[in-house]
Amino acid sequence: MNMTKNRVGIVIGCALILGWCLLPVAWIISLSFKSQEAITNGSPGFFPSSGTGAGWKNYEDVLKDDQFKHAIFNSIGISLISTVLSVIIATLAAYAIARLEFRGKRFVLTTALVIAMFPVVSLVSPLFDMWRTFGIYDTWLGLILPYMSFTLPLAIWTLSAFFREIPWEMEQAAQVDGATSWQAFRKVIVPLAAPGVFTAAILTFFFAWNDFVFGISLTSTENARPIPAALSFFVGADPFNRPASLLAAGAVVATIPIIVIVLFFQRKIVAGLTSGAVKG
Amino acid sequence: MTVQTATAPGRVTEESERAKAENTLGRQLVLPAIVLMMVVTAFPMLRALYLSLFDYSLTAPDDRDFVGLSNYWTALSDSLFWRDTANTVMIMVVTVAVELVIGFAFAMVMHRVIFARGVIRTSILIPYGIITVVSGFAWQFAFSNSNGFVNGWLPFMGDDFNWFAQYDSSIIAIMASEIWKTTPFMSLLLLAGLANVSEDMLEAAKVDGATWWQRLYKVILPNMRAAIMVAVLFRALDAYRIFDNIFVMTAGANKTESISFLTYRQTVEQFQLGIGSALSVLLFLSVLVVAFLIVKLFRVDLAQARQE
Amino acid sequence: MTADAAGRASVKRVWAVAAASIMILAGLSACGGDSGKPTLNWYINPDGQVTLNQLAKDCSTDEYTIKIQLLPASATDQRTQLARRLAAKDSSTDLMSLDPVFVPEFANAKWLAPFTGDLKGKVLDDDVLDGAAKTVTWEDKVVAAPQWANTQVLWYRKSLAEAAGLDTSKPVTWDQIIKAAADNDGTVGVQANKYEAYVVWINALIQGAGGNILDPSTVEDGRDAKVTINSEAGKRAAGVIRELARSSAKQPDFTTSNEGTSLGRMYPAKGAGEFMTNWTFVYKNYEGLIGKPGGPADKEAFSDLGWLRYPETVAGEASKPPIGGIDIGVGAYSKHLDFAQQAAACVTSPKAQTALAVNEGLMPSRQSVYDSEELKKAYPPDLLQLFSTSISEGGPRPKSAFYSQISSAVQSVWHSPSSVSDRTPKKSASFLKDVLSGKALL
Repeated sequence: MNMTKNRVGIVIGCALILGWCLLPVAWIISLSFKSQEAITNGSPGFFPSSGTGAGWKNYEDVLKDDQFKHAIFNSIGISLISTVLSVIIATLAAYAIARLEFRGKRFVLTTALVIAMFPVVSLVSPLFDMWRTFGIYDTWLGLILPYMSFTLPLAIWTLSAFFREIPWEMEQAAQVDGATSWQAFRKVIVPLAAPGVFTAAILTFFFAWNDFVFGISLTSTENARPIPAALSFFVGADPFNRPASLLAAGAVVATIPIIVIVLFFQRKIVAGLTSGAVKG
Repeated sequence: MTVQTATAPGRVTEESERAKAENTLGRQLVLPAIVLMMVVTAFPMLRALYLSLFDYSLTAPDDRDFVGLSNYWTALSDSLFWRDTANTVMIMVVTVAVELVIGFAFAMVMHRVIFARGVIRTSILIPYGIITVVSGFAWQFAFSNSNGFVNGWLPFMGDDFNWFAQYDSSIIAIMASEIWKTTPFMSLLLLAGLANVSEDMLEAAKVDGATWWQRLYKVILPNMRAAIMVAVLFRALDAYRIFDNIFVMTAGANKTESISFLTYRQTVEQFQLGIGSALSVLLFLSVLVVAFLIVKLFRVDLAQARQE
Repeated sequence: MTADAAGRASVKRVWAVAAASIMILAGLSACGGDSGKPTLNWYINPDGQVTLNQLAKDCSTDEYTIKIQLLPASATDQRTQLARRLAAKDSSTDLMSLDPVFVPEFANAKWLAPFTGDLKGKVLDDDVLDGAAKTVTWEDKVVAAPQWANTQVLWYRKSLAEAAGLDTSKPVTWDQIIKAAADNDGTVGVQANKYEAYVVWINALIQGAGGNILDPSTVEDGRDAKVTINSEAGKRAAGVIRELARSSAKQPDFTTSNEGTSLGRMYPAKGAGEFMTNWTFVYKNYEGLIGKPGGPADKEAFSDLGWLRYPETVAGEASKPPIGGIDIGVGAYSKHLDFAQQAAACVTSPKAQTALAVNEGLMPSRQSVYDSEELKKAYPPDLLQLFSTSISEGGPRPKSAFYSQISSAVQSVWHSPSSVSDRTPKKSASFLKDVLSGKALL
C-alpha cells in the first residue's frame, strides 16, 4: 500500500519535472511556427491558431539571415577555441592540484573560487578600455580570453575531482618502470582522465555558448558578435516590430547544439556537475 | 589528500630534491591558469579602481579630471543605487529560496526514480544548458498579452493584463525565467548531496518509527548540509549578478533594474567610465560582502567549496 | 636528462603551443584583407534595408565598394554600438546612419569628419528642409549629410472620426481624440515604452504647449544648459499623458507600446480602429497590407485611412510635430575619408531620397524631391504636403552633446506613463539638473 503510494508520488513528480523542463521549450518551438503577421496582430495562445501557422518559413528566413549566420559561426568558433584552450590549461593546473604538493596551491584554489563569484559586469568597462588599446576589441580573441578565464575555475574543479579518483598507483608503477613523471602523465593518466576532461569541456562550452555580458559589450559588429547578443539585437524586415516568431526560430536553432550535447552526454554532464561542485 | 610520493626511507637528500622538483613542476603547471585569470580579472579591476577616481566620459576623453573619492560618494548617496541593490537582494533571496524548495523536491524524485532515469536527467539538463537570453525571450513572450499563453492559462488573469506594465508583475516574470533556468542546477547539486545520505541510517530511522518529516529533518537534511550550503552559495552569488534576464525582458523598466544592470548602463550605455568604474568596484565589493555573509551566517565549509 | 628537466621542457612546450595559438588568433583577427579596392563600411539602421542595400551597390564606384553593416533596431543600441567603435578609434567605420539626436554628441567628441569645400555645398543647400538642415550642423560646421527626414502625423480611421463627429477640417487636440476614441469603441496609439520614442512624444507635447525640455538658447552649452521642463507647458504635457493613461481609449500594452505595437489596431478584428501618432512609414505599411491579415481588407478599407497634422496639446496653439530621420556621418578615423564623403553625398542625393521614399516610405529631406513626379505618383498630394509642412514646422529634441543622458533622465522619471502626474515635471527638472551636473546616477 505504502509502496504503491510512493510509486504514484514518484510518477507525479517525474511528470512535474518533465513539464517544468520541457513546457517552455515546447512553447518557444510552438512560437517559432506562428506567422509573423499573426504576431503583429496579436495571437495569444500556446499553439498557432488555425490559419496562422508559418510552416518552416521562419526557419528558412532565419537561416538566410546574414547576421544570424555570422553569429552562429562566431559562437561555434569562439566557444570551441575557448573550450579547447581552457581545458588544456585547466588540465595542467588540475593535475598539479590533485597530484603534486607545492606552495601556492591554496592561492590557486582561492583565486578560482573568487573568479567563479566575480561579477562580470564590473569588468566590462576596464576590459573594453584595455581591449581597444590592444586592438582586440570586437575580435574573436577579445572574447576568447575572458571566456577562458571565467571557465577555468569550473574546469579546474571538475578535473581535479576526476583526477583524485584515478588510481595513481598505475602512474607510480610506470615511474618505477623507468618512465619520467611527464611520460607517466601522458601515457597512463591522460587516457584515464579523458572522460573527466571531456566533461569539463562540455561545461566550458555551455558557459561560452551562454555568455551574454561580454558578448554585447566587447563586440560591435557581426565580426565577433555571438549568438545571445545577436538574438537580443535581432531585427527582422520590419524594424518596428520585434519579430517574435523569427526570434523564436533563431532561439530554437541556437538551442539545438545544447540539446544534442545533452542527449549524447547526459551522464557525463551530471557526473561533472555533481563532482565539480560537491565532492562525494 | 595527495598520495605521498614513494621514496625509500633514509634517502633524505633525494627526497628533498624531489619535493623541490615537485614544487617547481606544480607551480609551472598552474602558472598559465593563474596568469590568464589575473590578466582578465585582477588587472582590469585595478584599472577600474584607478579610473574610479576620475570624472571621465568616453565622449569627452580630453576633459578627464581627478576627483578623488567623489564618484563613490555620488553613488553611495544616490537613492537609485540603493533601490537597485535592494531589488537585487530581493531577487536573490526569493529566487534562491524558491529554487531550493523546488530543487530539493526534484532531487528527491530523481533520487528515488528507477525507471526513465535517462529521460528525466536529459530533460533537466535542457534548462541548465539553454541560453539565458533564450529563456528570457521564451518567458517574455509567454507573459506577453498579445502573443503569450500565460494570461489565457491563468483563470484569474484578464486576457489583456500587461505583465510588463508595473513592477510587481514584471519582477515576477523575470524571476520566473531565472528560477526556471537555474532550478535544475540546484537540483543536481542537491542530488549529489542526497547520494551521501546513507540508506542504512534512513532504514534505522524508519525502524525506530520516525515519520517522513522526522526523517527529513533529523537524517536527510543534516547529512546534506554541506551540499545545500555550497549550492546556496553558488546560486546566491549567481543570482546577485542577474543581468541577462532583465536586459532582455524589461531593459530595466518599471524599476526592475539590478545592480549589475545599473553598472552596465553607466559604463556601456552612458560611457561614464569614471562613475561607472566606481560602481564596478562597489559591485565587486558587494559581491564579496554577500559571499562573506553567506559563508558566516550559514557556516559554509569553504574548503569544500574550494575543493580542498 | 633528469625526469624533471624533461617534465619542465614538456611544460614549456605546452606553454609555447598555447602562446603560439593565441598569437595566430590575434594575427587572424587583426588582418582583414587590405589588398585591392578599398571597402567602405556603412553602418545602417534597419529601416529601409532593401533600398539601402541597393543604394550601396549603386553608389559603389571603380575606386571603392560600399559594404552594408546592420545596426540593432533601437536608437539607443545603435548609438552605443557606433560610439564604442569610434571611441576605439576604429578606422573601418566609414559611413554611419545616425539618428539626428546623436549627431551633436558624436560631433562634440570629434568622431565625425566635417564636410568641406564642394561637398559641403552639395549635402547642405537651400533645398534641404529647415527641420532636417538644423540637425547636421555643429559649431558652424556641417558634420553630417541629411538623408531622409521623418516626422509624425496623426493617422486615423475616417469612419471612427465621423462616428465621433470630429471636425477634421482643422487641427485636432489630444483631448479631442482621446475622448472621441473612448466614446466610440476606438483606441489611441502612441509610443510609451521606456525608450527613445517616448521622449519624442513627451518633447512634442511640451513644445506643443509652447515649452521646452531645455532652454533652446542655452541647450548647446552641454552641462550648463538651463532646464525648463518644470513649466506650465510641462504640466500640460503631463496632463495629456495622464488623461490617456486613465482613459478607456488606451491600448492594453500602453506602457510598453512602440511604433509597431499599435499598427495592428488600426484595422482590428473587433472595434472601430484607432487614432495613432506615428511616423511616415505607416502609409506604405498599410498599402502593402491590403487584403492581408492586420491590414485593410480591400482598397476601400484602405481609403478609410486618414491623416492629420500632429495633435495639439493646447487647443488653438499649433502643434510641433516630432522630427526624426537619418543623417549620414563620416567616421573621423576612416582610412578613406575622401571616398567616404563622396559616398555620403551619393547616398543622400535626390535620386537616393526618391528611391527611399517610393520604396520604403522614408520621406525626403529635400523639398525638390517632394515636388518630383515619382513621389506624386506614390503618395496622395495632401499627404506629401502634410509631411513636408510637418518637417519644416516641426520641433527638434534638445540639440545637446549630452542628449542621451537627457533622454534617459526624462525616461526614468516619466516612465511608467500611468504614474505621470502634476508633479512629474518638477521631479523631472530636478533630476535632469542633477544628472547634467553629474550629481545623480542615471
